[in-house]
Amino acid sequence: MPVTRRRRRWSIGHLLDGFFFVFAGLAAIWLAYLSLTQAFQVGWAGVLLAIVFWGLLAYLVLPRLHRILTMIYVPDYFMGRTRTSDGLLGDPVNLAVLGEREQIERALAAAGWIAADPVGWGSSWRIITSTLRRRSYPRAPVSPLFLFGRMQDLAYQQEVAGSPAQRHHVRFWQCPDGWLLPGGRRVDWLAAGTFDRAVGLSLFTLQVTHRIDADTDIERDHIVESLSGVPGVEVDVIRDFATGYHSRNGGGDSITTDGDLPILDVRAIRIPDAAEPAGSAPSVDAGVE
Amino acid sequence: MNASRPPRKRAAFEPLAPPEERNPRMRRPAATVAGGVLVLLRALSGAVWGAAVLFGLPPWLRAIAGFANGDNIIPAEDTIDDLGLPPEVFVGVLGVVFLVQVVFGILLLWGSNAARVIVMIVSTISIVTAFVSWWEVGAEITVATTLVTLALDILVLLALSSRDAAAFARRNEKRD
Repeated sequence: MPVTRRRRRWSIGHLLDGFFFVFAGLAAIWLAYLSLTQAFQVGWAGVLLAIVFWGLLAYLVLPRLHRILTMIYVPDYFMGRTRTSDGLLGDPVNLAVLGEREQIERALAAAGWIAADPVGWGSSWRIITSTLRRRSYPRAPVSPLFLFGRMQDLAYQQEVAGSPAQRHHVRFWQCPDGWLLPGGRRVDWLAAGTFDRAVGLSLFTLQVTHRIDADTDIERDHIVESLSGVPGVEVDVIRDFATGYHSRNGGGDSITTDGDLPILDVRAIRIPDAAEPAGSAPSVDAGVE
Repeated sequence: MNASRPPRKRAAFEPLAPPEERNPRMRRPAATVAGGVLVLLRALSGAVWGAAVLFGLPPWLRAIAGFANGDNIIPAEDTIDDLGLPPEVFVGVLGVVFLVQVVFGILLLWGSNAARVIVMIVSTISIVTAFVSWWEVGAEITVATTLVTLALDILVLLALSSRDAAAFARRNEKRD
């Protein structure tokens, strides 16, 4: 049964999809080349064409190229890094959580974190206008990052100085069932927290994006500190979970970390409507199936 | 015993077309909207161009509409009499093209996978034709000729071949 299902993944439709995906990338390179050569030939309208060229390059050509190339050379197993929607390595995973979704949400709310709006037409427009006019937008959306092949399940933030240009933010992913950390520990959620320090251009795609603070440990410790004040939250740390490293995230910002992985245990937080005490939750699903 | 079974090993590489999850309630992504709207705009520009040729509408209107759908390869001074076609045939052909484009645009917005694949095949043929005539024959592709048409073809193809658009078109497919 699983074998016949698996075969469907390579149906003609999916092969065609793969072909069109790559072909469209090549065609887009050609289009970018044509519009660049035109930009030098049509006088002042060339400025407009140059902007069109940048738009094509930054939002269509480079993402598609990165997508195709990272599909080939970035291995798709857990290596402590999230990935951007273009497949580039994104923010480092620097937190783990034990507990249910409601417990995390309650703990974060109690610690003064605000859930981010989902990315959509309205919220995207609003983050652009409020950044330009330096207006506050406490629920500003965060860009999608991927772990286990999935977009984040939860995204929380804290605005700094009343403008979406600078903010603390953290994304959470629920781990797949039965998934263990390298080394064998079981956690329910993984999270990546970084500090957005300004708006700038991404080094790899030339898109307008947030630049992050290089020392991701400061942001990690800020998140842990804000949550450890909430009653019912316990903190444990795996020292040197990843060896300390320097690298770059998906926007080309440098990142550096000492490699520690704090584990926040929120299982003791009570959810008012829950029938049973949340602390006994982990033993419930053992032995079933 | 069964509960402590080690988790199944997963492939370490990413498949070219990753298996999407079945998700009938998926929201229509921007890529699908872009693809559908571009096809509808193309239908509209074809209709405007046809009307401009038939009724002698202002040349700038005809030029803009012609840029969008590639009809401006017919000289802008030509009227319906120069084409050597009876007006009924002209209207009939343009009408059929218009209807087909509108139907496909709506099907795309609806999330039909068949429409998506057919539109991608047509765009690919058109792009390859343009590329061959540019590379082999040396045909000039400039703003004044077919650059806008080509750009729209490539944008439609990029939008519809994206992962979002593919996942939306396959949102009702049953997967494991």
